[in-house]
Amino acid sequence: MEEGYTSLPTSHLLGSVPAAVAEEKAKGAASESSSANLQIFPPANGGYQAPGSPYGGDDQATSSWKGVCSISSYTPYFNVDTDIVVGRLISSVYPMNDFTGKIDGNPDLYGPIWISTTLVFMLAALGNCATYLMHKRNEPDIAWAFDVTYVNWAACIIYGYALAVPVAFYFLLRYFGCNASLIRLWCMWGYSLFIFVPSSLLLIAPVEIFRWIIIILAGAASSWFVALNLKSYTEGSDLMVLIVSALLLQIVLALFIKIFFFA
Amino acid sequence: MSHGDTIPLHPSSQSDIDEIENLINAGPATVLPAHPPSPQRASIPVSSSPFIPSNLPPPPPSAPAAAFQKAPTSTPPSVPAAESSRRGIAADGFGSPPNTLTEPVWDTVRRDLSRIVSNLKLVVFPNPFREDPGKALRDWDLWGPFFFIVFLGLTLSWSASVKKSEVFAVAFAVLAAGAIILTLNVLLLGGHIIFFQSLSLLGYCLFPLDLGALICMLKDNVIIKIIVVSITLAWSSWAAYPFMSAAVNPKRKALALYPVFLMYISVGFLIIAID
Repeated sequence: MEEGYTSLPTSHLLGSVPAAVAEEKAKGAASESSSANLQIFPPANGGYQAPGSPYGGDDQATSSWKGVCSISSYTPYFNVDTDIVVGRLISSVYPMNDFTGKIDGNPDLYGPIWISTTLVFMLAALGNCATYLMHKRNEPDIAWAFDVTYVNWAACIIYGYALAVPVAFYFLLRYFGCNASLIRLWCMWGYSLFIFVPSSLLLIAPVEIFRWIIIILAGAASSWFVALNLKSYTEGSDLMVLIVSALLLQIVLALFIKIFFFA
Repeated sequence: MSHGDTIPLHPSSQSDIDEIENLINAGPATVLPAHPPSPQRASIPVSSSPFIPSNLPPPPPSAPAAAFQKAPTSTPPSVPAAESSRRGIAADGFGSPPNTLTEPVWDTVRRDLSRIVSNLKLVVFPNPFREDPGKALRDWDLWGPFFFIVFLGLTLSWSASVKKSEVFAVAFAVLAAGAIILTLNVLLLGGHIIFFQSLSLLGYCLFPLDLGALICMLKDNVIIKIIVVSITLAWSSWAAYPFMSAAVNPKRKALALYPVFLMYISVGFLIIAID
């Protein structure tokens, strides 16, 4: 039945659809052969897809959208192996590497989700550790209690930041005419939070000066990472204001982490 | 009937249609159980189909009041007979379903408890079925995980000195939402896992942490707590490891296992820190 569409004698009409349909059919056929075909269970190849195969750009990803509630419409964003994720994590710590090039073909959401979850847990746990140590140092007689609201605060702040800031920048970049991809922005901001995980381990030490040095270094590295990638992302246009504001936001987050959790 | 269609069927659809036709033609007596018959789950007898000859006497229209009074007493003895006449089209097709609605409550509770114990033995303790994860937790249920999660929340809440209800809320939310998110994580990474089976498994693997929380509640020494929680944490992770790692592609094993460890470590930390 589908072969009939390309032979419709309407291509001479203005604004006719057949060319797009033919193109979509080719793309659809390509993705059918190697994607999770819902008619065949289990999917071909054990559901495994080599990274870098058909799900290349944004247009490929949207053509496999099967609705909000279907798992298979989100699987393209989790198409990464362990070594790929580790490579991206390492390149997020050294701001000089070209992170944007790494994620261009295959932005993943696995990193942002689990990095933010790890950070929430670490901030809640180590924040309590840090208050315990300070408490034991300064007021050893009074009983210390585990403050479970740290979990709530950490979750709200980290998840809110990692979700809302890329969305805001997506809309701002679109407004200024830049061609932005929300998934890549989410991916980049998520990986930029990774450096706070080891630095929160170091922040337990009850020495105030040491804590400030650590958080300033971590905040600087993270915001430099964000600014550098945002700049390479918006190559053509001159949007220094946006880049500087992203940098400042990241520094504010770093300071907030220090002040709220490791006071 | 499929040959008259102009649209060629997908090759797997034809085999499905053949299978269904065989089922309808061959009759229910030849249906094999999908998996070895487990202790029967409670099933509500289906009683509304008009095509099945029912053994219930039709209530006489002239004496509706008498029939109304007669019906409750006559229903229990006639239900087994009606069920045996409906044997072939019973919902689970495993033979005549036992009368689980009218059995004593103690029987139901005992059956569920024995299922919980057997699942626990399969998941948490060393046994030969651990190599084949699909077979091991065939008869999953959600009562066991529910009890373990609530017990852990209650123990933590009891041990806490301040903000007890918040501690329970955090523990319950982390464990329940965590189990769902972990299952979704495996599915998104392209793994094969049955959703509720995985929820059940992650709940059963909490059993060692329950023991650890109980011991920590009774003994208040920080060093002992750390040792006990480390041991039970390792036990829980060892219990969950084969099921999770078998579900995904080997190159993504670490990606699927890391969140499991993260959840158990965070619960372990909660157990240590609450005092």
